[in-house]
Amino acid sequence: MKVLVLACGNPLRGDDGVGLVLARHAEEWAAERGRAVKVQTQMQWTPELAEEIAAAHAVVFLDCAVDLAPGEICAREVGAAGDLPPASHHLDAAELLALARGLYGREPRRAVALTIGAAHLGMGEGLSVEVEAALPEARALLEQTLKDCLKD
Amino acid sequence: MTKTITIDPVTRLEGHGKITIELDARGEVKTAHFHVTQVRGFEKFSEGRPFYEMPALMARICGICPVSHLLASAKACEAIMAVEIPETAAQLRRMLNLAQMVQSHALSFFYLSSPDLLLGMDSDPAARHIFTVAASYPELGRAGVGLRRFGQHIIELLGDKRIHPGWVVPGGVTEPLTVAKRDEILGMLLDARVAVQLALRSYKEITYRFEDEIAHFANFPSMFLGLVNGDESAEFTDGALRLIDANGKIIEDGIRAKRFTEVMGEAVEPYSYTKFVYYKPFGYPEGCFRVGPLARLNIVKTMGTHLADAELRQFKQLENGPVRSSFHYHYARLIEMLHGIEKIEEILNDPLILDKHVRATAGVNRLEGAGQAEAPRGTLMHHYKVDEDGKMTWANLMVATGLNNNAMNQGVLQAARFFVKEGRLSEGILNRMEAVVRTFDPCLSCSTHAWGKMPLLIELKDAEGKQIGEARR
Repeated sequence: MKVLVLACGNPLRGDDGVGLVLARHAEEWAAERGRAVKVQTQMQWTPELAEEIAAAHAVVFLDCAVDLAPGEICAREVGAAGDLPPASHHLDAAELLALARGLYGREPRRAVALTIGAAHLGMGEGLSVEVEAALPEARALLEQTLKDCLKD
Repeated sequence: MTKTITIDPVTRLEGHGKITIELDARGEVKTAHFHVTQVRGFEKFSEGRPFYEMPALMARICGICPVSHLLASAKACEAIMAVEIPETAAQLRRMLNLAQMVQSHALSFFYLSSPDLLLGMDSDPAARHIFTVAASYPELGRAGVGLRRFGQHIIELLGDKRIHPGWVVPGGVTEPLTVAKRDEILGMLLDARVAVQLALRSYKEITYRFEDEIAHFANFPSMFLGLVNGDESAEFTDGALRLIDANGKIIEDGIRAKRFTEVMGEAVEPYSYTKFVYYKPFGYPEGCFRVGPLARLNIVKTMGTHLADAELRQFKQLENGPVRSSFHYHYARLIEMLHGIEKIEEILNDPLILDKHVRATAGVNRLEGAGQAEAPRGTLMHHYKVDEDGKMTWANLMVATGLNNNAMNQGVLQAARFFVKEGRLSEGILNRMEAVVRTFDPCLSCSTHAWGKMPLLIELKDAEGKQIGEARR
């Protein structure tokens, strides 16, 4: 597997589902072009993902963020966390990379986290106006990230 | 002066609970209780819903064993419909249940209990979690993560979702199995089997370190209950229940779900929201028993699969008669995982599994129905009543943790009396109190989970309930 896309979120909690919306776009984009991209969506990232992460050349993590302004987009390189954490069911991108390295002795050559600031995380389907407005730019950034990862 | 020690919350369990230990004036343990401190209310808020919605609703009780609730609920609905489901549907459900058992047992053994077993009961609590196990024993860490992924992926392949799959419905399942999915599962079996065999070898190598725990972790005579097939082999989905006494003598056999509702009673204690299930003919608490992996292995003569049977023979040599120490739940859990993997292979190699007839349909033909199945942690029973339109008028669930409730309380008391002397406590002793409960792998609310270092509060109170001391970790 060349590129693994991992999206996290709950579509019943407003903007928390934005990672899943972007994951669908990644799936369609890769299918149209016949690219080696595998997309997985989950409500939360769990330790069982470590094996696939270790086997991938690159991983793109998609999620919403609460530390960004609503609709703000952030794409950043992620490295493995320094220590394996005493975590619960949910792991973040850096912890998953650390677990992949700890268990399988490998980690992807490149890992990117693409996140969008959430405006509404309450009960209900659908994205907020702010996040909806950010989607075209986020999709374009995702496509560029996938192209870069596939080139590496 | 009397003192009370409170352990709250109990960590590395499914859900939230606490333990209180009451000391007498000499500092010796007088009583000990395991409290379940959450109330859910599923039985009440299902009233008025159409009965056929029940499997999907009830599965939401639990994120670890939703399949067990799906199955027990669907079977209760089928009793209301008065239908027998197609054989292929029964086999597909059996496979789904076994996959769930493997992933849930992997969670219990590797994620929740292996830190105690491999790192030690007295090891640093800040590092006593699965990730330290993974760093120190990467092969076992990979085995645990791999087995959980194995079970979850089968559930996802069959039911489209790893958690809360909607595939099991009253009457059978919604979709037959495809050749591609069958072959994918067959391709995963070898790695899973090797992983469990590694865990079994490792477990046997370390058990000598736990002589005190084996002797005092809920090690007492009790009755045992579980599903068994007509040929005396292990069963998790169909079959009928068998109840044996502490010496292995059968007390009652062939208990179907309808009979279960007649012979099992529920007692309530003021210190817990979880009910105490007991065998009515013996009364409460004398009629209490144990369920789950230890009980299931105690009631059968064979697992029904080759490799697991070899392990079962060793298991049965642990004691003369039924194995009484709850510490051996861990061993039983590993044997059941091995059996599950073998049984899934057997089911998939039968061409019948690809049959397209997988669902029976019917309306309301009875106003009451019950269904039972084995959840990873023990027997589970759903009992429903409906009106003529099929709307739920009443529901009652008897869940494994309620069936084991009395044994867990007895176990905490037994362990406290051995490990807590003259009121002296250490973190390792507190961890042992929690570890007794962990052997049962109880599911307290089945919706919230925690492991690792949690805030542990110990309160010392006098006989009037006044706090006279406090310790935290």
